[in-house]
Amino acid sequence: MRRLLAIGLAVAMAATCQVPAFAYLKLGTRVGTRTVTLKWSQLPIRYFITDRGTAGVTSTQLQQAVQAAFATWDGATTAQVSSQFVGFVQNNPTSGDGATTIGFQNRPDLDRTLGATSFMIDTVSGAIVESDIFFNTAFPWSVSAQGETGFFDLQSIAVHEIGHLHGLAHSAMGETELRAGGRRVLAAEAVMFPVAFASGTTLGRTLKADDLAGIGDIYPSTSYTRGTGSISGKVTKSGKGVLGAHVVAFDLRSHALVGGFTLSDDGAFVIAGLTPGPHVLRVEPLDDGDIESFFDATLNIDINFRPQFYEKTVVVPEGGGTSGVELKVVAK
Amino acid sequence: MNGPAIWNAARSCLVAALTAAVLCTVPASASAQVYIGQDIPRGGNVEISGGVVWMPGYDLGTASAEETRNPGTGTGPFVLFQTDSRTESAVGVQGKLGVYLSRSVSVEGGALFSRPELSTRLTGDAESAPELTATETLTRLVVDGSVLFHLTGVTFGGGRGIPFLSAGAGYLRDLHEKNEVAETGHELHFGGGFHYWFGQGKHRAGVRADVGVSRRSGGADAIDTTRTIPSVAGSFAYLF
Repeated sequence: MRRLLAIGLAVAMAATCQVPAFAYLKLGTRVGTRTVTLKWSQLPIRYFITDRGTAGVTSTQLQQAVQAAFATWDGATTAQVSSQFVGFVQNNPTSGDGATTIGFQNRPDLDRTLGATSFMIDTVSGAIVESDIFFNTAFPWSVSAQGETGFFDLQSIAVHEIGHLHGLAHSAMGETELRAGGRRVLAAEAVMFPVAFASGTTLGRTLKADDLAGIGDIYPSTSYTRGTGSISGKVTKSGKGVLGAHVVAFDLRSHALVGGFTLSDDGAFVIAGLTPGPHVLRVEPLDDGDIESFFDATLNIDINFRPQFYEKTVVVPEGGGTSGVELKVVAK
Repeated sequence: MNGPAIWNAARSCLVAALTAAVLCTVPASASAQVYIGQDIPRGGNVEISGGVVWMPGYDLGTASAEETRNPGTGTGPFVLFQTDSRTESAVGVQGKLGVYLSRSVSVEGGALFSRPELSTRLTGDAESAPELTATETLTRLVVDGSVLFHLTGVTFGGGRGIPFLSAGAGYLRDLHEKNEVAETGHELHFGGGFHYWFGQGKHRAGVRADVGVSRRSGGADAIDTTRTIPSVAGSFAYLF
């Protein structure tokens, strides 16, 4: 018999709180003494839509936007994922009912959250058995093909949340700036960046290289396994590992940006899903945003170092990996 | 008179006529020009040569690490940093083996080994990361074949120097640093040069100079497009 564990609001997308940096990150959970990647063991992902619209968006339009967002991920050549719309239901998208449900909910208390994804997982295998997404009707929504000024594009936000539903955490592939009253995002190169672009744009409907690498890492297709490679190494400061450093690989041929984080105290990182060929590496701290968008608050993330490049060009082999890279950073 | 006898007589007359013609047209002071004619390498001769090649550096292009800009925060993509890549100049060693098909034409195959450095200048970081040049040393092998056209009508140095034109194609194999990844490509080349032979026997030594350009695609430094690479080479040669 499976034991199920609910992970509430595992990820969210805030409108004004953001973090600069790059890279995809996978969601994980503890199973016994080990950490496993959250992923679906059964495909296609079967989902329901709450039969309730909001101002300017009917439930049918919601279903169409969600279906288009699923299709975006299903079409990723790096991954083998699939989805199936089962039907409309009256239930709200809440965990624990055994059905993966997506719908609108009015959550004015979450004044920076456009949408969120929650999970029910099998604590024995770590497999996702249910995941629910809500879109916050405290914000104005649109399904216009070209976007609508003053309204958030439902399909763009659905692409982001469905990335979470597949097991992807936030990417830090983006930049922000401090302004009076908070931060704003300047740019992003991943739909999994935790902060949405301004209302009125549909730019979030298109997956980027970082997203494609991330979904391929969890559900690898044959072309992903055979046709891409990885870079691994560690980030150190004064001889000690740096936790939470953000390393990005720039492909000198395709100009794609894909990144990874150091996820252990020894500063080790792996960036997978890279196209073969020469890359340059850059490392930076998560030093000006909400670290909790990426890591558990209990972790001791090191943000006291300067961004810098790696002194060697790193070549990624097809279907293999380049290891032994050491990025030595210095304190600010 | 039977057939062979007629042929032998005709050949004797022809040789005598040609000898007379040469004696009549060659000045007495040009005795050194005995190299002209049968001492020019001829069909069946084999040439082996080895030497050094210098190739200048060449640009591989610039690129920007770009992110999609949030509408309303500016125009154009957000540039995280910029790259400017080039292959640095390199000196390599080469060896060639050629066979003369005639006095004017020879074919040869060869191999060129070099270790050029691939460098990428990283600048303009959005968060002020210090500028840096990322490098990598390649191990490059080019195996090629060429046809040489020897310009026997424009010799110099008393007939010792013989210019030539050459053209051919080759296979390129680059091994990246740490020897973990090999990338291949191909090239087309053309150029020219000269031989300068010492001695006059069937076995003789000489020197050889080549200049040329190679049009390459593929390989480790194929970052943007095909590229044209000039080269200058100097070799020792031996003919037998």
